[in-house]
Amino acid sequence: MNPLNPEDIHDLKELIEFLKENQVAEFELDRGEFKVRLKFNQPEVTQGGLSDLATLLAGARGGAAQPASNTAVASPAAVESATDPLAGLHVVKSPIVGTFYGSPSPGASPFVSIGEHVAKGQVICIVEAMKLMNEIESDASGDIVKCFVSNGQPIEFGQPLFSVRLS
Amino acid sequence: MFRKVLVANRGEIALRVLNACRELGIRTVAVYSEADRNSLHVRFADEAICIGPPRLADSYLNVPAVISAAEIADVEAIHPGYGLLSENANFAEVCRASNIKFIGPPPEVTRLMGEKEKARQAMKKAKVPILPGSDGVIFTAEEAQDEARAVGYPVILKAKAGGGGRGMRIVRTPEELPNLFHAAHTEAANAFGNGELYMEKFIEQPRHIEFQVLADEHGSVVSLFERECSIQRRHQKLIEEAPSLQVTPDMREEIGKTLCRCLKEIGYQNAGTVEFLMDADRQLYFIEMNTRIQVEHPVTEAITGIDLVKAQLRIASGERLETILPPSLGIRGHAIECRINAEHPQKFTPSAGQITAFNVPGGNGVRVDTAQYAEGVVPPYYDSLIAKLIVHGVDRAEAIAKMDRALSQFVVQGIETSIPLHRGIFADAEFQAGEFDTGFMERFLARGSAG
Repeated sequence: MNPLNPEDIHDLKELIEFLKENQVAEFELDRGEFKVRLKFNQPEVTQGGLSDLATLLAGARGGAAQPASNTAVASPAAVESATDPLAGLHVVKSPIVGTFYGSPSPGASPFVSIGEHVAKGQVICIVEAMKLMNEIESDASGDIVKCFVSNGQPIEFGQPLFSVRLS
Repeated sequence: MFRKVLVANRGEIALRVLNACRELGIRTVAVYSEADRNSLHVRFADEAICIGPPRLADSYLNVPAVISAAEIADVEAIHPGYGLLSENANFAEVCRASNIKFIGPPPEVTRLMGEKEKARQAMKKAKVPILPGSDGVIFTAEEAQDEARAVGYPVILKAKAGGGGRGMRIVRTPEELPNLFHAAHTEAANAFGNGELYMEKFIEQPRHIEFQVLADEHGSVVSLFERECSIQRRHQKLIEEAPSLQVTPDMREEIGKTLCRCLKEIGYQNAGTVEFLMDADRQLYFIEMNTRIQVEHPVTEAITGIDLVKAQLRIASGERLETILPPSLGIRGHAIECRINAEHPQKFTPSAGQITAFNVPGGNGVRVDTAQYAEGVVPPYYDSLIAKLIVHGVDRAEAIAKMDRALSQFVVQGIETSIPLHRGIFADAEFQAGEFDTGFMERFLARGSAG
């Protein structure tokens, strides 16, 4: 089995992204000595709108490309990092349905930013429901690694907001 | 017509409403709890929003969560289905304040009908026959003695804030009244935090008859005739049919006219059901009004050919009844509905769990409203109704024959259901003869022929 050159790996990554975006369930490529088979975890229920967003997010988190072990030729390390970037991280989920705001008021600096340390009980964002601004507290202490939502975005109950590296 | 509607319910009625919206070209938004992630109402809606954990109070009954979902999905109207928030006047008020159309009557009317005594007085004023009884609350046992003498024994004491049989006592003689009065008062105070009682004449062996109405927002009201719902166990309806064998065409017309006049006066809007008790002399007495679509609405749909849920949506969007309904209304054939519950057919204990096999009967004149499917899960948190089986025949005999064969083809495995109970009822001579009252289930179960 020939090792892949960096260009091939780059192409493969792009391909994986494209397939994920279009929710392709299975993909097979056969170019003689170069064989790839990719299988993606499909969301159990598909519907439009918000939940699509939620399932896409869920897909981006846990259901990334899982190459079939026998035919995979991509370097295991490269695929591994694309598989589960959140392994070992704590995810702060929205306790209510509403609209997400990252800062206390328009133009103000955000409650938290990537890399910042947050304490358990610290306000990390606002979710507006019925014109009420509900301050959402972090349910864990650690460093903010990622924010999954953008300012003004509608979110549902249980939707991931931030990932935190526990400390 | 609305562009986009949120359905604030779950199970078969959520799917029923989604279907009506879809056929009218309305985009649909489902809301769901974490326990219903794999439900069909979630799958078949255009959009779905998770609004909370399984517990009803935290999800389907959580007003801020439902309104918030409606706002982020940008809907114009909310259909509440039945149960849950459907008769919650506060919810209807919040909808109004949030500029979202509540598909049902205005909150003032819901509130009026929710207070039994006020509803009774409103009906009495419009000459709808009501049960003789106390004009308001009775405070002492002595007062109760006087009232009972005027009304005539037997009488029933009921909790003003009550429901579900609590704080209720049947009194047959003056001697037993004082003790029963105090018992009912204490029970009501404990159960509802309000011990106030009122009194009504008690009807022996009553039938439960109800009238379906539709009212538009321009002052027109029509009666879509009656349903017979006497087959009940502990005030839970099991089988409903239309028309009733006991209601004559003259009675039907007279009660219909009176109700229309009354509801027009009250300012009623959208679909509603007026419930009556019928005594042995076929006299009807108003008991309460339900200000929403009913579980058993399909039997009326079968005999009238009118889609009641579509009518609700069209009324709420401002259409007039004359454009919604055909020029003349009539009754065609006979329809019967069985409520299929996830419960043990003899012990009536709820049976949650995963369904392993699910065969739904079909064929001419058979309709099944359900949100269940093979490998679907009946969660333990909610109502046990998993399907409604409705048949429509040229007459009652054909409807019974259809129901009998449809029940035999309705297969549900993995959980217990009331299907064997229904098969027993349909084989029962008293049921077949149509000569029954609300005491039927007690007698039937005593005969030991269930399941």
